[in-house]
Amino acid sequence: MIIGTGTLLRIVRTWLYTNLNAQIRKALSGEPAFSYKHSEFLGSPFKPLHILSKPTPPPQNMATAVKKLLHPHRSRDEEKSGHDNQSSGHDRQDSASERAREEEKQNLLQWEEQKQPLEPGQIDDANHKTIGQSSNVLRQQDFELIKTLGTGTFARVWLVRLKDTNNGNENTVFALKILRKTDVIRLKQVEHVRNERNVLAGVAGHPFITTLVASFQDRDSLYMLLDYCPGGEVFSYLRRARRFNEATSQFYAAEIVLILEFLHEREGVAYRDLKPENILIDAEGHLKLVDFGFAKKVENRETYTLCGTPEYLAPEVIRNTGHGTAVDWWAFGILVYEFLVGQPPFWDQNPMKIYEQIVEGRVRFPSAMSSNARDLISGLCTVDTSKRLGNISGGAGAVKAHPWFQDIDWDSLYYRKVNGPIVPHLRGPADTRNFDEYEPESAEREPYTQDMSNKWDEYFKDF
Amino acid sequence: MSLPPDYSNEISALDREILKSQPHDVLQFCANFFLRRLESQRAEFLLAPQHSSPKGRGMAQSTFPGNNPFGKSNTSAFESIEEDDENDVVASPTASSFAPAVMDKAHPQPIAEEDTFGNFGNFAGFSGSAGAVKPPQSQPPSANPHEPQSFPNNYNLNRRTSVSAESLNPASSANDNWVPPFHPKTDEQQARLRSAVAGNFLFSHLDDEQSAQVLGALQEKPIPTKGIKVILQGDVGDYFYVVEKGLFDIYVNPSGKLENGPDGLGTKVSSVGQGGSFGELALMYNAPRAATVVTAEQSTLWALDRVTFRRILMDSAFQRRRMYEGFLEEVPLLSSLTPYERSKIADALETKKFPPGTTIIQEGDVGESFYILESGEADVYKRGNSKSLKRYQKGDYFGELALLNDAPRAASVISTSEVKLATLGKNGFQRLLGPVEGIMRRNDPSKAQHSDTVDPLSK
Repeated sequence: MIIGTGTLLRIVRTWLYTNLNAQIRKALSGEPAFSYKHSEFLGSPFKPLHILSKPTPPPQNMATAVKKLLHPHRSRDEEKSGHDNQSSGHDRQDSASERAREEEKQNLLQWEEQKQPLEPGQIDDANHKTIGQSSNVLRQQDFELIKTLGTGTFARVWLVRLKDTNNGNENTVFALKILRKTDVIRLKQVEHVRNERNVLAGVAGHPFITTLVASFQDRDSLYMLLDYCPGGEVFSYLRRARRFNEATSQFYAAEIVLILEFLHEREGVAYRDLKPENILIDAEGHLKLVDFGFAKKVENRETYTLCGTPEYLAPEVIRNTGHGTAVDWWAFGILVYEFLVGQPPFWDQNPMKIYEQIVEGRVRFPSAMSSNARDLISGLCTVDTSKRLGNISGGAGAVKAHPWFQDIDWDSLYYRKVNGPIVPHLRGPADTRNFDEYEPESAEREPYTQDMSNKWDEYFKDF
Repeated sequence: MSLPPDYSNEISALDREILKSQPHDVLQFCANFFLRRLESQRAEFLLAPQHSSPKGRGMAQSTFPGNNPFGKSNTSAFESIEEDDENDVVASPTASSFAPAVMDKAHPQPIAEEDTFGNFGNFAGFSGSAGAVKPPQSQPPSANPHEPQSFPNNYNLNRRTSVSAESLNPASSANDNWVPPFHPKTDEQQARLRSAVAGNFLFSHLDDEQSAQVLGALQEKPIPTKGIKVILQGDVGDYFYVVEKGLFDIYVNPSGKLENGPDGLGTKVSSVGQGGSFGELALMYNAPRAATVVTAEQSTLWALDRVTFRRILMDSAFQRRRMYEGFLEEVPLLSSLTPYERSKIADALETKKFPPGTTIIQEGDVGESFYILESGEADVYKRGNSKSLKRYQKGDYFGELALLNDAPRAASVISTSEVKLATLGKNGFQRLLGPVEGIMRRNDPSKAQHSDTVDPLSK
């Protein structure tokens, strides 16, 4: 039985850039009139600048005063946008569907302006969540494609702006990931793409995971609208700095721990492609995990498809004995090592030699690495999953309790009470200076034929 | 007229900080904030690739850090990068690991640790009020205790590509009754194949059954003549090959793929003869071939494709796990385990094989492990009674109370045939799920006290 012979497709996907999408903060969105109430009702501790709470405490007054002093225009803009959102219904369109589209676009705008992270309980509450929904009315034509943020074999991520909206603010931007159905099918990634959308929809709202604002499709493409994360990849910062100091590594590692804790223990999801390339920095210096192309809801069943990035593959993936969420803890150990050292512990020019080292699992540490860091990495990069930190009793809690993280205040981290160690310098929310330049999209495209449509549309119907 | 976006952005950052910190002295706070932003922006600018020349870095060192009365920049994210590049000893381009002299597992350096932790609180930049601003701190020592290090210079610093193999789904394989292909081989051929793959880590972990299936699945491929390209550099790879007889030359073209023309093969790098093998990466996923392989004479190969290989591994792993989970469900002591916990235990069970007549547990010993009989039979004996009390068969389990307490084993178990056992120690169990007592108490609080008195071998 031979798979993948005919075509020259490389299952080795150049998926790497696929998801350089981006985000700033997570959020409640939805019905303009209700969204404030909603967040108030839930008592969200994320409440940012909106000072709608009952008796405004003096320090916030002061903050408002300072803000007004320094930037009088801004608060006026905020008030204005509030009005417009409420009056958006005035703008009559001809057809009902046009009205629905306009409304949806307004919702998107409003979400982007007010986004804030959700509490774990809200993220899980699919019935009340307005983000991550599949939209019947949005179309590519609703977006102005500004610049490519990343490319892959079958996907391209664009910085986009909503077109023709009443109060279109040019700083309100999103990342739009466009996948060509033909390529997805050709590269046998249909299942992975479905997993990606569903997992992202389920986790939308987490403070450190890219927010799927909406998804939609047309005849030959799939679209995922994500929040834009202007800081670029941790990868770029890491390579530029060669390595991170211990404090920076701890901060980033800690946010990743919160992500994994949430994905594994609340969602039953294994992410399966942790690496600096898939972690973006947002405007406040916090992380956003992107590219859920390999993420899968595994729950208590093991899974077998080999996927990931060579240096970060866990031994059980290589040996094909079945794997689960424990692979992320292994990769997390590799990641912390790479943060501190500047390169992963297992490397060779020949990938088979990398795998041989991984299966053997002997990590060598530079003499300067602190003993706590070594102990953490050794615990995570343990070949035997029944002894691997994160997978053993206590789960993510055992990782959080590790001495290397003793200075982390986990609650204030989740609620983003501290800024990240690298706060990107931006000219504005739509600044793309932290992303590389990419070749323009090639004009030739394989058509999505009627045959393909008959066979595959079924698989894409929920997108 | 609108304000410059840079400005708006800085102000919103300031807004956030003000809200967060709610300082008493607002003016001082704002002044601190902007000084910090300036410092971190300059530092970041200098770290940008185009400014990473030695000169630029020198400037960064002398101008910014230490100049600021308000402490370290809140973007102290970057370790000083000087010592790295200067101390990088150029490693051999093929070196794949760190030089032993600078790598050590045993001797951590406590100084570095202490100080970097001390520095940690600083990442937030500044604390609530001006009075709480920390005194300037020197560069974190972690930047310096690096002795001259020789990390291999050849590490590929580019973005790494994700890889993915065909989707393997055990659920469907249970239905379609997939059987691996079987190509008969002589004993001699078997032995040759076995030794050919013995050194390959992909094969060394296989159990006997898997190994037999994999070897059986290798298919003979006669190559009738010299000069045939068996694999092409840059091409997709689906097969792994073992040389049964003949000789193969291996060529690598530096361009990364086979080119047209007389030199298209590139340079010959080596040859492979009987018992050798090539193309093993194809057993992992579909990566482009790294070399071209050409027959140097009439030859014969054994071929194995990735999907067959991985499916054999998957099916046996899948069946074993389901079997273990099934066994575990039968153990009353573990009845309150959730399916998730059961699957974790099933994953952790270790397979052991013993010849007939082996004493698996000895009456009076302190129990450490719990056993499930996977195949074969074993008898139970009590001291002073030469007659077997009970015979254990497939799916029976014993010694489970060792998970609960340290009471001595109440009887001995001796194998009567070759036995295969799945076993887990108390330590392993507790490591995964915590104390068994706690798990048992979930359902029935009285149960835990009760079972202490139960005969360890009764059910």
